Amino acid sequence: MITVRITPGDRVLTFDRLNTVLQLLNKLGLGMTDALVARDGVLLTPDRKLRRGDELTVRVVVSRG
Amino acid sequence: MKCSRCRDLAEIALPSHHAGFCRPCFLEYFSRQVEKAVRHHRMFGRGDRILVALSGGKDSLALFRELRHQGYDATGLFVDLAIPGSSDAARAVVEGFCASLGAPLLVADMAAEGLPIPLVKAKVKRPICSVCGKVKRHYFNRTALEHGFTVLATGHNLDDEVGRLFSNVLRWDAAYLSDTGPVLPAESGFARKVKPLCRLTEYETAAYCFFRDIPHHVAACPYSGGASFTVRKQLMNGLEKESPGSKQAFYEGFLERARHAFAALEQEKGQVLAPCVECGCPTSAELCGVCRLRRQVGEGGQG
Repeated sequence: MITVRITPGDRVLTFDRLNTVLQLLNKLGLGMTDALVARDGVLLTPDRKLRRGDELTVRVVVSRG
Repeated sequence: MKCSRCRDLAEIALPSHHAGFCRPCFLEYFSRQVEKAVRHHRMFGRGDRILVALSGGKDSLALFRELRHQGYDATGLFVDLAIPGSSDAARAVVEGFCASLGAPLLVADMAAEGLPIPLVKAKVKRPICSVCGKVKRHYFNRTALEHGFTVLATGHNLDDEVGRLFSNVLRWDAAYLSDTGPVLPAESGFARKVKPLCRLTEYETAAYCFFRDIPHHVAACPYSGGASFTVRKQLMNGLEKESPGSKQAFYEGFLERARHAFAALEQEKGQVLAPCVECGCPTSAELCGVCRLRRQVGEGGQG
């Protein structure tokens, strides 16, 4: 299980199976530069592999006024 | 992915530059992009006193942090719009951030000026984002001039600039196209205005804030729902995804090859400005838009 906290909004989603950050972004309908994806205080590039038990933060960066 | 500079593990990928960077190299890249914008567009020098408009969002705080980091004489300005559930939180972020940097901060309080935005919204029929923008620009300019700053800097990034350019091209708005760009020179009654983040996207400023641990105000303005500007930004993001680098090419191509034509047209056909009889700010009418607005709000009329 991979847990993803999405900000702003503070939604939490879980995924049974995700291989890479790019897969996660695609599942969320986000482009590569639409959001920062962090694990343990480190940003992950789209090619980075994800592991079972990962807790990720997705910070959407598009400002809305 | 490896860092394009040092081959260490990258933390950020930038498709438009066909590059990836580790944390230290990204911060170096960010500083160089700001330096390049300042130098290429001759924005300001070491002797200038710079007033930086701070909204509490990531872009303006990143700009302020970076200019202070580079050793510029930069002071913050926060315009408190008195919007419930938004302005107080943004002001607290800005005050806390400036205190942490040991940086000076000026505050223009719209409630004290008789222009709290909720009251303005109730009294004016025009779209509130446009009116609020006019009020903010007025106080940015006025504060800069009254306090003797030589430059007014805002945190507009490449996405903001491209979104605005796209919008104005769709309407072929010659007046707005004539002054689209990262520098507006000082003219009678107007402070010099600059946008040192014009080479950086909002993704890059967000990464900068993450790496520098800059807390910023992330909640959208409660009055900005469905703003057309945001929709156009999303359209441009779709284009950038299909064709990385297209935003920068669109913006810089306009600056190099088209802006001068609109500037010449505006000089020929544009409105003549004179000081407002009440506040002295430049206007094409007897009273400037903000002084008219203050009267309208005070009298309870609608417009």
